Amino acid sequence: MKTRILILTLSILLCAAARAELKWEQTTIDLRPSVGDKTAVAHFKYENVGKTPVHFKSVRASCGCTTTQTQKEVVNPGEKGEVTATFNIGDRTGIQMKTVTVQTDDPVPAQATTMLTLRAAIPQALEINPTFVYWTSGERPKPKKISVKASKDFPATSLTIKSNSQNFESKVESGRTGEWTIEVTPKDTSHPTGTALLLQTDYPKEAPRSFYVNVQVTNPPGAPPALRPPMPSGAPATKTATPPASDAQQ
Amino acid sequence: MKIFWRILDVLVGGIFIYAGALKALDPVQFANMIDNYKTLPWFVGVRLAFYLPWLEIVCGLTVIFQFLYRGGLSILTALIAVFIGATVAAEMRGLDITCGCFGHASQHWSFPQHMVFDLAILIALVLLWSRPKLLHQRQAIHLHNDKKD
Amino acid sequence: MKFRAVREGLLLIALAALPAIGEGLYLRDKVSWQSSIPPSELVTVDQAKAWGDGTIWVDARSDEEFANDHVPGAFSLNEDHWNELLLQFLPNWSPDKKVVVYCSAESCNAARDVAKRLGDEARLKDIFILQGGWEEWVKKNRREVE
Repeated sequence: MKTRILILTLSILLCAAARAELKWEQTTIDLRPSVGDKTAVAHFKYENVGKTPVHFKSVRASCGCTTTQTQKEVVNPGEKGEVTATFNIGDRTGIQMKTVTVQTDDPVPAQATTMLTLRAAIPQALEINPTFVYWTSGERPKPKKISVKASKDFPATSLTIKSNSQNFESKVESGRTGEWTIEVTPKDTSHPTGTALLLQTDYPKEAPRSFYVNVQVTNPPGAPPALRPPMPSGAPATKTATPPASDAQQ
Repeated sequence: MKIFWRILDVLVGGIFIYAGALKALDPVQFANMIDNYKTLPWFVGVRLAFYLPWLEIVCGLTVIFQFLYRGGLSILTALIAVFIGATVAAEMRGLDITCGCFGHASQHWSFPQHMVFDLAILIALVLLWSRPKLLHQRQAIHLHNDKKD
Repeated sequence: MKFRAVREGLLLIALAALPAIGEGLYLRDKVSWQSSIPPSELVTVDQAKAWGDGTIWVDARSDEEFANDHVPGAFSLNEDHWNELLLQFLPNWSPDKKVVVYCSAESCNAARDVAKRLGDEARLKDIFILQGGWEEWVKKNRREVE
């Protein structure tokens, strides 16, 4: 009795599987972009193994950072194709997981929706810890430390600091190869001021990359929020709420 | 010769108890490490983070105190296989994250260091599996007793 | 002999569940079981508004969505231009402020990711996620124009 039920179930499953029209080579793709890559592209290949053409009803990515492209709207029986998912890395780090939901006109509801997953392991060039140090208004101007470590994908051997601000003193100490400690000290903390310190590396040789670290003497508590509306890109922000001009710069 | 096997028991069991205890002390941190792989949904990962360490501790104890020995050994072998898999997967995917398998102690280990340690444990477990007479004798006695019921 | 290992193994698997469940119950309020943000970090629109000037709003959505409409006074901070936007955001922050991050709805991940980076990299404290996201804020502050 039990074996009969088993055989029956298996045959039903096999029938359902056979009717499946769009077969995906992989529904999860792992990408390893290199340091400096702006995008990571995943090619999700499919084939129509059914008897009827398949229409794509919708292809939607989980975020605006991933754009998708289907080469065709209709896939005839036997035809192969791919859905290309282009993930804009931007300033993201670590492992990023993004999904693309594909809807087709497959009569079997479970087959009609497919979730494609893109996993990108974004290599970190420099590990900067922390990326922001601050002193509160009136606090004693003690030096604060930031540790910088180059990852194995980013063999930088030298680090220099560039700062246009007179208000912060900084020095770099190197430890083991690829490891540095930056010490920042504000000249005084009597008024709010801030800047970005530019960390210049020597890698890659053709176009050495630089990174930012933010330092700030913050507004005293109870200060009104910045009056200037923020700009999405381009011009540096300047504080208009308090008298002395800030050193904020690109 | 028997002392050799007992020492191995205590060593292997001890390592798993230590690893399990470290993780059981901060299950949320372990859950975050599992989540870093982005392979399991948080819902699953967080429950696994609470469960796995205790499995390690319990099985480590069975190996040291020799009760439910074969069961404990099987599970620990399965676990070390999982740890090796996780370490290799992380390396292949270029992840700069730590396996989290041995808590803070292993946080600064490189891939080769991880692999050496994991493989050493695997070898120890395999050795324990092939442990002569003593275990087989016990099995024979128990099987004999089972048959009597 | 193999069956003995299986039987013992299953017994151990069940046995280990006991302390695990015990620990889970003991820590049940300290752990977020559903999503990777602890529930204490979620704030409602009303709570955030009650903080008044003590709130700094952070919009984790894309540049286009931000340009289209955003909470008045909010700062755009997304992962597409993290470095640049962080530079503009930080001079406006001070330790007494509460940072409320939002993205389009509660289900999107951007707010969580931005909040995590602010906490991990910039080491800011008092970071909250807006419950319901931009959708919820619009519901409470703007009448939908049909």
